[in-house]
Amino acid sequence: MSDIKEIPASTLAAFGIIGGLVGIYLSPYFPAAGALGAICAVIWASEAVRRVSKYGLGTGVPSIGQIAMGMGIVASMFGLAIMHTIPLAGPIVALLTASVIGLIIGWFAQNVIKMKIPVMIRCMTEIAAAGSLIIVGFSAAVAGGFEFKQLLHSVFDNGIMLIAFWVGAVAILHPFNAVLGPDEKQKRLLYLAGSTGAITMAILGIAAMMTLGNSGIITLLLGVILWLIFYKLFWDEVYKDAAAVVGTGLIPRTEA
Amino acid sequence: MVLDLTMSMAILALMGALATIAGCLEDLESDVGSQSNPNSQVQLAPQMNFLHRIYNKAVSGEPVSNGMSAVISGTVTVVLLDKGFFLLTAIALGALVGAIVLGIFATTSYAGRVASQARFKQPLYMDIMRYTTPSIISHNFIMNVCLVSLAYIQCVVLGHPFPIPFLALVWGITAGAVGSSVGDVHYGAEREFQNREFGCGLNTALSGRIVIKAESGLRNSIDNVWFCAKYGGPVTGLGLGLVVFLSSWPATIIQPRTIDDFWLTIIIGLIIVVLLGIAHRLVEYSINNAYGPYKEEKNEKEAAA
Amino acid sequence: MATELLLLSLQEILFIAISGTLICIAVHFVPVGGAPAAMAQATGIGTGTVELAAGSGLVGLLTASYMYSSVPDAPMALVLAAGAIGSMTMMAVTMFFGGLVYAYGVGVPFASAQVKKDPITGARQDIYMSKGTQGQGLPMVCYVSGLIGGALGGIGGAMIYFALESIYKPLIGESAPAVAGIFTMGVFYVNAVIASYGVGGTIEGFHDPKFRRVLPKDTLTAFIVSLLCGVVAVLIAWGMV
Repeated sequence: MSDIKEIPASTLAAFGIIGGLVGIYLSPYFPAAGALGAICAVIWASEAVRRVSKYGLGTGVPSIGQIAMGMGIVASMFGLAIMHTIPLAGPIVALLTASVIGLIIGWFAQNVIKMKIPVMIRCMTEIAAAGSLIIVGFSAAVAGGFEFKQLLHSVFDNGIMLIAFWVGAVAILHPFNAVLGPDEKQKRLLYLAGSTGAITMAILGIAAMMTLGNSGIITLLLGVILWLIFYKLFWDEVYKDAAAVVGTGLIPRTEA
Repeated sequence: MVLDLTMSMAILALMGALATIAGCLEDLESDVGSQSNPNSQVQLAPQMNFLHRIYNKAVSGEPVSNGMSAVISGTVTVVLLDKGFFLLTAIALGALVGAIVLGIFATTSYAGRVASQARFKQPLYMDIMRYTTPSIISHNFIMNVCLVSLAYIQCVVLGHPFPIPFLALVWGITAGAVGSSVGDVHYGAEREFQNREFGCGLNTALSGRIVIKAESGLRNSIDNVWFCAKYGGPVTGLGLGLVVFLSSWPATIIQPRTIDDFWLTIIIGLIIVVLLGIAHRLVEYSINNAYGPYKEEKNEKEAAA
Repeated sequence: MATELLLLSLQEILFIAISGTLICIAVHFVPVGGAPAAMAQATGIGTGTVELAAGSGLVGLLTASYMYSSVPDAPMALVLAAGAIGSMTMMAVTMFFGGLVYAYGVGVPFASAQVKKDPITGARQDIYMSKGTQGQGLPMVCYVSGLIGGALGGIGGAMIYFALESIYKPLIGESAPAVAGIFTMGVFYVNAVIASYGVGGTIEGFHDPKFRRVLPKDTLTAFIVSLLCGVVAVLIAWGMV
């Protein structure tokens, strides 16, 4: 990965979908896998947010993360609930439902509200789909599985679903918002996305200590280790990209 | 839990006080980190050749970031309570985790935004990073303690059907919304452009030309929060405190038993809203008279000359 | 039992579609000036459209859900009124204290850039506008517009909650408030963001020419999207049976 070439969007989409689904399906045996899959989806979604926000949404970057998670939670719970007789089909139906609703909203935003952003429809679909994988993945890490009745008792009743919803939304929208500027680089953004996803995983590990017992500690430790790795990589990029990183100093004289 | 009138009033007063402190600290935390809307000027300044030593915390808008730290604090508190910790210890530890997470997000945004402004030669000052971030964490910690306590009282003592993390999230979002609407104006319109004439809005031509030299030395975020704590912070606190207090006051006073009693609480709420509207009109009328118009003054001066 | 559930489902889907549209309309009434307003460069509250509408709507959701659980067999009108009053209280207090900061912290009179005279009080606006700005503060018409927006948003949020609770309560009992509350939040944010895209981030209220221009297409979008979300949310009940 050189500095000039960027990772293509389709590669990241494949990474997000395959990683997310594999993680969700492994979660009944190894709950932390659900969170790892969700981190793949976070990285995918933050790249999609970057593509659509570069055109200027007018209302700020956070709105697209919130609409994606709002759609994502209703669509993903629909997919899991409606397929409760065939549990294995649940996550796929959740992904498809979220994609369809995202497609419709993107179509309306582009053609009825006339936002004039070329990539709007594709990016809205991608962000909604990633949103559903993030919610199901993180909830599966806390509930120890992705069946609807399990989620109802372990994640909804005590309010832990809101961590997956809200901190998941911030994990998607913070990376681009934090590196906004004319010299923004994709590599820094992707490392930051991994870091925010890892923080969400660590928090959900703490929550899983209540619902699952000791396997929550594995999720917490993995989350902290991943965060340390991605945070260090992010800071290396910052030292490379910034004009100057100084211990202290006066304001430099510029040709004004 | 069914409470008598004295106990209900005491709980309500406690909730109002907690919300007041939370609102004040929320606004001050957004001022010490320069978050949300006034941050657009801090972001614009290097482009106008106004390099600065102000912390550029861009964690996506105050309701979102305060909601995030509140919900994390609420969840960790619930987990610790489940393990048998004492209530105040659980709330304090939960608030600490939420505040530290927010601090991490703040460091990444300052570093990321400055790194993306490399072409304007804006340096990344590590000493600003080192002493402002703990300030952000400590302000947010106090806010989290107040909001999670508020959520706990509502859920356990008053019997609200929502779980504690949900209530903490909603109050975090509300604190962010009130702080962003009320206190940020004092920071953005007044402190960031303090070298301009008092009593006028910001001329579009002056965008990005923020104050970079302080009373002594160079302006940084700690100076900014010192100023805003004199007016913007307390007013925001009063705002959030009254939101919590007034939304529950009619029901506490009436102690409703029948459906008609509940309709009476609705009517009282409506009267409160109308009274606030009248107060707003009185403020608008009195300042229009006190300050006078901008353009008529100019005409009078020309006529006199 | 199946036909009863089907009829109830259709009714609740319609309620959710209507309330989503109400939320979208409510966001158009709330006077928001975005980043310029926070610098006293534009009229309105200095925050984002989604943030303020969501904040007030969620306070309305809290008061409505508390009313629903305190009163056995609460009539829908009472729950909606509780949501409206909670939301209006938050908007009223926020706008009043925001006005205090503009008046005494920054020292500017309130003025709107879109009209020459305030439609409600008749006060002149253009002579009180600071040089180089698009108005500042919260004139009375913006205040009233914000209250209407708060009321509609509170009603919309409470209606979604009422509809989902009616469907989920017989099926999952204890868990119903949390599930219905979280879904209400999701649908709330979807509609608030749709309105925010249509408005483009800033609007002064119902007296703004932008209001008449963008409202029809935003209402249509919100109705269809909320209908879709309603179908999905209600069908989840079939998975709980």
